[in-house]
Amino acid sequence: MSQASQTAVNEPPTTTTFTETIKLRLRTPARFRNLELALLVLACGIVAGAVALVQLGALDALDPQVLSLAGGLGLLVLIFHIVLRITAPNADPFLLPIATVLNGLGIAMIYRLDLARNDQGWGAASVRQMVWTALAITVAVLVVAFLRNHRVLARYRFIAMFVAIALLLLPMLPGIGREVNGARVWIGLGPFSFQPGEIAKIALAVFFAGYLVSARDSLALVGKKFLFLQFPRVRDLGPIIVIWLVAMVVLVFQRDLGTSLLYFGLFLCMIYVATGRESWVILGVGLFVVGGLVASQTLSYVEGRFNAWLDPFRPEFYEQQGGSYQLVQGLFGMAHGGLIGTGLGEGRPNLVPLAESDYIVASLGEELGLAGLFAILALYLLFVSRGFRIGFAGGDDFGKLLGVGLAFVVAFQIFIVIGGVTRVIPLTGLTTPFLAAGGSSLVANWIIVALLLRLSDTIRSGPKLVVGP
Amino acid sequence: MTSELTLLVLQLAFLAVLWLFVFGVVYALRTDLFGQRVRRLPAEQQQVAASAPFPAPAAAPPMPPPQSAPTEIVGRQTPPPSQPGSQRATRLVITSGAREGVEIPLGNEPLTIGRSSESDLVIRDDYTSTHHARLMLWKNEWAIQDLDSTNGTFLDGRRVTLPTPVPLNTPVKIGTTTFELRR
Repeated sequence: MSQASQTAVNEPPTTTTFTETIKLRLRTPARFRNLELALLVLACGIVAGAVALVQLGALDALDPQVLSLAGGLGLLVLIFHIVLRITAPNADPFLLPIATVLNGLGIAMIYRLDLARNDQGWGAASVRQMVWTALAITVAVLVVAFLRNHRVLARYRFIAMFVAIALLLLPMLPGIGREVNGARVWIGLGPFSFQPGEIAKIALAVFFAGYLVSARDSLALVGKKFLFLQFPRVRDLGPIIVIWLVAMVVLVFQRDLGTSLLYFGLFLCMIYVATGRESWVILGVGLFVVGGLVASQTLSYVEGRFNAWLDPFRPEFYEQQGGSYQLVQGLFGMAHGGLIGTGLGEGRPNLVPLAESDYIVASLGEELGLAGLFAILALYLLFVSRGFRIGFAGGDDFGKLLGVGLAFVVAFQIFIVIGGVTRVIPLTGLTTPFLAAGGSSLVANWIIVALLLRLSDTIRSGPKLVVGP
Repeated sequence: MTSELTLLVLQLAFLAVLWLFVFGVVYALRTDLFGQRVRRLPAEQQQVAASAPFPAPAAAPPMPPPQSAPTEIVGRQTPPPSQPGSQRATRLVITSGAREGVEIPLGNEPLTIGRSSESDLVIRDDYTSTHHARLMLWKNEWAIQDLDSTNGTFLDGRRVTLPTPVPLNTPVKIGTTTFELRR
């Protein structure tokens, strides 16, 4: 930061402002936190109910051991709530309960799949998921407790860029990079595997927000008009070309269509929000469609995904290795569930390959039915709308862009995954936020929750408007 | 142990509770917890406004004389007609500078301006002091007080030394940013 702001921080506040802060603190009651506590109690009840129903449905008996493990997670969420009371009393009251319900439903469903497969101990995905959840919530608590001002992140925007690039390149390193089901997006250290791209999306959102705040004037104001739209100058195209190239590298070398689409979509959303120019979106979508078409012609895995999407019931695609078998099984599962589902623990979601990670939505759709799936989608909608609201109400440009970017990345990921499972778009291997089994995804999404909570707290207690950087 | 029927009832109850949670969140959201600052127009403001100690500013006379009613009405077409007591500005509009066109709603609390992030309106440029100025309600009228800033606060081009009432639609300049108070 500049020297000017350094002195601004070091100067002691005058007595008037000091007393005003105290007055403000006293005047605002913990209304948001009380509401959050009420919703959290309901959320923990829903999670406990889901686990109990799974046991009744699959085992026909209650197993208090697993229930107490889930209760431990409830305790952790309550600790998060108490930390919020102390460090961010004005934070949004809905994010934490919604994330709790989604995460708990995911654990219940993964547990149900473990019961069907008779996995136990550390071999059970649900046990690992619970440990990862505990870790993720701890990380989120630490972020809220130690990141007291989100504008600090703007200073580290270039570090965030290098971190993102390093995280993206890690899986391509020989030795620690791992290839799972054709996609090279994992790193493995001993028994642990991690998907660094999930964390990279947060670093990218921070970098894009910091970069666009300083660069948006040249990106927004100059350019030639062509066909009712103002297009940017050629020399301002640099960043979008770089991001496009990164997305293409991910697409070609890591063989991961979903991650590539996610990063590029995030950049397009943020540049549109920062500049308000449709031409960026048109340009970016055009670039990506061209890249995607070329890839679908030359890369066999992209072509296979397109075929499975357009014509999943054709026998040769169904029987092909990496064909539409999984997709069709997922569709059958959801059809079996119908309107209200088969009941937790009573369907056969374990028939779908990867039912606990990529296809958790199909599993939930089978056992909770359309009614349950729509409730989950409604929760996602509320979560994302809170994120956008935080971005909209933000006082400073960096916070606004960061809030919108983080909310969009969650929304877009949900669209890509659930759209893929329900055959709206070609299937790509991304994780469903909060629900799917996978530690990296959980940690990343809980960090997003923590950042949004911090942003919303600053909005209510911080300045009403910030002019300048 | 548990029959099909019990499980079905439990499943339906679970879905109902799940939707109850969704609607609970939506219900709590209805008053959208950000903002919705209440505009209070109590009746007693009228008497207080009449006894304001400042000379009536030219831009916004607190009590339009009834004799000049026809011309006054023509001149006051743009703002919505209301009683003279509600003359007080309710928003601050940035009229030039980096955030031109952005508004801040004004409540009843004072609004601090400065480079410090503790200020309500943070202006970060080379000319603004850490705690630069303060807008406050003084006898039901917004007044600006310069907090001993280095480069000064300018009301309609004149440097502010004492707390001065800010008439409606009059530019206040701090650093490279100009704002006006509007109703």
